[in-house]
Amino acid sequence: MRILLIEDDQLIGDGLNIGLEKLGFSVDWFQNGLDGREALLQAPYDAVILDLGLPGIDGLSILKEWRMQGKKEPVLILTARGDVDQKIIGLESGADDYLAKPFALAEVAARIKALIRRNNNTLTPTIEHGNIIFNQHNRTVKLNGQEVILSPKELMVLELLLNNKNKVLSKETIENKIYSWDEEVSSNAVEVHIHHLRKKLGKNIIKTINKIGYMLGEA
Amino acid sequence: MKKFSLQLRLIIFFILISGTVFLTAGIMSWYEGREKLDEFFDTYQILMARKLSSLDWQHINAESQSKIDKLIKDLDDDGEEEDDALGFAVFTHEGKMIFHDGNEGKDFHFNHNASGFENQKIGKDKEPWRIFWIESIDKQYIIAIGQEIDFREDAAFDLVEDTLLPWAAGLTILLIAAVYMVSREFRPVKKIAYELRHRDSNDLSAIDNDNMPTEIKPMVWALNNLFIKIAETLKRERSFISDSAHELRSPLTALKVQLEVAELAGDDIKTRNEALQKLCLGIERASRLVEQLLELSRLEAYEKDTSNFKDLNWEEIIQEAITTQQNAASNQNINIKYISKEKFCIKKGSPLLWSLLLRNLLDNAIRYSPYGAEIKVTMDKTSLSVYNSGVTIAEEIIPRLKERFFRPPGQSRNGSGLGLSIVERIARLHNCNVELKNENNGFLVTIHSI
Repeated sequence: MRILLIEDDQLIGDGLNIGLEKLGFSVDWFQNGLDGREALLQAPYDAVILDLGLPGIDGLSILKEWRMQGKKEPVLILTARGDVDQKIIGLESGADDYLAKPFALAEVAARIKALIRRNNNTLTPTIEHGNIIFNQHNRTVKLNGQEVILSPKELMVLELLLNNKNKVLSKETIENKIYSWDEEVSSNAVEVHIHHLRKKLGKNIIKTINKIGYMLGEA
Repeated sequence: MKKFSLQLRLIIFFILISGTVFLTAGIMSWYEGREKLDEFFDTYQILMARKLSSLDWQHINAESQSKIDKLIKDLDDDGEEEDDALGFAVFTHEGKMIFHDGNEGKDFHFNHNASGFENQKIGKDKEPWRIFWIESIDKQYIIAIGQEIDFREDAAFDLVEDTLLPWAAGLTILLIAAVYMVSREFRPVKKIAYELRHRDSNDLSAIDNDNMPTEIKPMVWALNNLFIKIAETLKRERSFISDSAHELRSPLTALKVQLEVAELAGDDIKTRNEALQKLCLGIERASRLVEQLLELSRLEAYEKDTSNFKDLNWEEIIQEAITTQQNAASNQNINIKYISKEKFCIKKGSPLLWSLLLRNLLDNAIRYSPYGAEIKVTMDKTSLSVYNSGVTIAEEIIPRLKERFFRPPGQSRNGSGLGLSIVERIARLHNCNVELKNENNGFLVTIHSI
């Protein structure tokens, strides 16, 4: 899951960036509001973490602009003040959730996951597909009740496909969803992940649609 | 007397004054009354004596006897006058009493020298009497007519009593009116006291001064002014506390998040060490913020108290401030140059505060200058300035730099946003102002003496 993080504070931004990566997200971190605002228009994000106290342009204005432009990505706002007013204004401006500083990384991750789940209309944290159970909460996969160890990127590809049943996803789409801009991507990275997933979960888990991309196999 | 309430003092004062007036009036009317009554009774006695003297005492016949009886009756039963108020006796020149009124008259002592008024003590009880002596017209007899002095005093007393009664009534009414007026006029004061006593400690609204008496108005006005000042101070304190709490949230969040990253890193030693390093950085930043918050809050409370100002040795203060920052400057390959043109004209002040001011300016200069920049500290007669090369600040942001907690956008260096607030406060305590401007491809902070 690819997250857009806009936070000007060096230490908080850095911590969220690294921490969320460790928790299985790919994160693009911007310290400047203007760059962050543009980023959402350039890449497919699953969710946005937006600090309200940004220099240059303030978080609420960015949020309003996105919503005016029809961007529907779920947005979690971070506020430094615990004021009820600011929370209300944030939610009314189109935010989906808020967290007041000081918050814990784990809480940010949990809320982001919940937002994405809600956005994908999957209210339970587990997705079942045939004999596979994917637990989005603790990011584990079971095949016939047995846990299968997957790498973070493999988990992301699987999750992406599970959330887009009956849709064909191009190689570029998958790439954009699982890699942030600062990661180096080899040209066959997606193929390698698909290959590993088939090896671990069975050949029929993913169908290749020639020259278009991939989609989830029959259950 | 001072410890009693003003109201009680006024009332006691009124009682004493009216008491004194009453007493003076009483004594005065007593003496006046006595004198007037004496004159009156004396005249009456003389008149009676004349009547008696005109009688023919040698030949007392039926006609004269009836005259005497009538006189005696006049004396005895004179309407309102007390019985036996007057008595008389008739003596021969040899002192033999040939006639008396049948009562006290018989006890009169003959005094052959007497003529006119004389006081005697009469009877068993030695009552004092006033007696008038007169020779009868036929010069054969001497007539004495007397009156009991007690009777005169009683009459005088009655008179005084009658005069004083309206006085007493008037004074009582006056006193009641005075007590009522005093307590009525003190009602606004009581009202204020009541209001203040029952006031919530957070309520600093003004007391209504429109309906107050002129004497109370200045007091209420002063009190309201004090309320305004306290409210301002409170507001400042509260906003300082809330700003501080707010500013502490960010460093705390950073600490929390970096700690969690270190925990998450697990076997990834590189990530863990980096997170721990950033944690240390975050703790440093939080400590610096707390330190500066304390400095600023102390400065806010620091009254402009020139009594603890000392002579300032500028060379020493500046050299020392530069020395303490030298290490940080060297790390950034920054050279600090000191130019002393003339001695700064502020002669008295707090050396501690001035070194704090210089330390903050130098710290800012080092913190926000690029590697290898130059810092110049210049002392002149009317100014003290710190210049750093290599960095300029957008003109529209410069006026906001002195705001508490304000940090220019896109700031990667950590800082509290309090340094210039501290500088500004110290300068103002010493009657100086702070000028900020871009100059010569660098940033210049100048402290001007006003």
